Amino acid sequence: METQQDVVETPASGTAPSAPEGKAPATNSAPPTAERAPESAAPAVPAPDTTPPPAPAAKPAATAKPAAAAAKPAKPPAPPDPRVVAATATAEEIRASIAAHLGADAVEDASATKEIPILRIAREKWRQTVEFLKDRPEHAYNYVELFAGTDYKDYIEVVVYLYSTEHGSYIHVKTRTPREDASLPSLTPVFAGVNWEEREVYDLLGIHFEGHPDLRRIMMWEEWNGHPLRKDYSDFENVPSREGGQY
Amino acid sequence: MGALRQEEMILNVGPQHPSTHGVFRLVVTIDGEQIVEADSVVGYLHRGTEKLAEDLQYTQIIPYTDRLDYLASMINNYALVHTVEYAMDLEVPARAEYLRLIVMELNRIGSHLMFIGAYLLDLGAMSPFLYAFQEREMIVQMFNEICGARLTYNYMRVGGVKWDAPPGWLDKVRDFVPHMRERFKMLSDLVSGNEIFLNRVKGIGVITQEEALNYSLSGINLRSTGFNFDLRKNRPYNLYDQFDFDIPVGSNGDCFDRYYLHLREMEQSVRIVEQAVASIPDGPVLGKVPKLIRVPAGEYYTSIEGARGELGVYIVSDGKDKPYRMKLRRPSFVNLQILRKLLIGQSMSNLIAILGAVDIVLGEVDA
Repeated sequence: METQQDVVETPASGTAPSAPEGKAPATNSAPPTAERAPESAAPAVPAPDTTPPPAPAAKPAATAKPAAAAAKPAKPPAPPDPRVVAATATAEEIRASIAAHLGADAVEDASATKEIPILRIAREKWRQTVEFLKDRPEHAYNYVELFAGTDYKDYIEVVVYLYSTEHGSYIHVKTRTPREDASLPSLTPVFAGVNWEEREVYDLLGIHFEGHPDLRRIMMWEEWNGHPLRKDYSDFENVPSREGGQY
Repeated sequence: MGALRQEEMILNVGPQHPSTHGVFRLVVTIDGEQIVEADSVVGYLHRGTEKLAEDLQYTQIIPYTDRLDYLASMINNYALVHTVEYAMDLEVPARAEYLRLIVMELNRIGSHLMFIGAYLLDLGAMSPFLYAFQEREMIVQMFNEICGARLTYNYMRVGGVKWDAPPGWLDKVRDFVPHMRERFKMLSDLVSGNEIFLNRVKGIGVITQEEALNYSLSGINLRSTGFNFDLRKNRPYNLYDQFDFDIPVGSNGDCFDRYYLHLREMEQSVRIVEQAVASIPDGPVLGKVPKLIRVPAGEYYTSIEGARGELGVYIVSDGKDKPYRMKLRRPSFVNLQILRKLLIGQSMSNLIAILGAVDIVLGEVDA
């Protein structure tokens, strides 16, 4: 019986006691307004069309804009999206911080998406920079959210979305490699969680990650020819033959 | 008597081993009973979804997402349409968002029930599997009524959902809530205090918080370590910021916590469903969406809290009606990496308990 008690208590300790059953006060008290307002004004979607000054009226989202303005009268409908401005400023700050420690050539470009700073890192400094962003307490980007590679025909780009659990901030870092002899420094020594992601990119896009502890194909088998996610990949040239012992 | 000859043995688990829930192969090197090396071999179910998506229009990709995590297809549907809606700044009608939320949370319950049933089955208990399937069957039946499929729903569309709820469907969901609440107690009584079960899962496969973050774990695997991170709260999407629910977190990061969090999460999902059914508005279920969906050029990524962790879709668009590149951040794939770390040094008899608790779906691992 003792174990039973133990069971009920341990994991529950981190949770607030569940509220009395029935209707949720927050949701039901103000039904229609409460539904619309956060939709247009709140989470990740908001006011993105105000990004560059020339855009605003031309876009069809003009209907969404007055709604957002009405719901939040405190926020001025200023032409440049303050979030992009802020994110770009953050990107420049981080760029300066990196430049001070790793040299001015480490960051090739600083920009922003809707709300998140983007840095394009020089290929040679890829691992140092990511390590720097992880280890410095003022950045502390310690969680890899996304690791993806894209073949842009002239070059292959790898993008990593980092998240700081301490500061709650996000940053996107990317780097480029030429398609011929594509290679990048591996990030696996920095983040154990990108191990398979790098293997997948190696398998499907053909980027060789230097310093990866176990670089093998992960989705296709070892004898497979070519890298399927490359844009010039052809299904028909690369079918492995049974006779060739590849099947 | 000469010295006892000692050598390591290689044991092949899978790809057809029943506890791998699909086709997953694990090559373990064992020294006596102890695991000294574990090599995961995945890819048996690789269909190249990301590559196929490059030749498909956005609406045509939706059925492919059903086949990733086939236990929580509704959530996969949402991950894709959400990214496209985010990229296009589309407005979704309120009723559609409510319906999406209801089916997603029901699907989460169904998926977690499946986990509990299958996990206990792995550990040698047959009955919980059958009990868990009773309620899962009710959920699957409700999905069948709303979208015409039991597993591969293809229910959501960019800008809304395909079908409104049929007459009486919401009442069924409403009735399901108290029924499900009673079953939690039964499920918990049936399993949680069982001494054999506790001996097999308590303190086994412990993940620390630093490890979890370093390995990019998400979902219950991350929360079992005591780290409170749930995208429904931390980066709300859909209507989650309007509902009242808690995020259960574990404390020890062991297999038991991961099992128990599944139970506790279902309770929260039931709470959300109850609130949503009580306040769902009338209205259209599909917003004004252009006939041909073209995503403006650029890169977009949004992620949602799937049944197994952070499920994200990354789209690179060149302004056409098909994605230039689509990358799926599959929680099972990322979470599975820690398996090697967890297994090394463990006794062979814990292998199944640890693998089961990581909660993977091979359709998603292999994409």
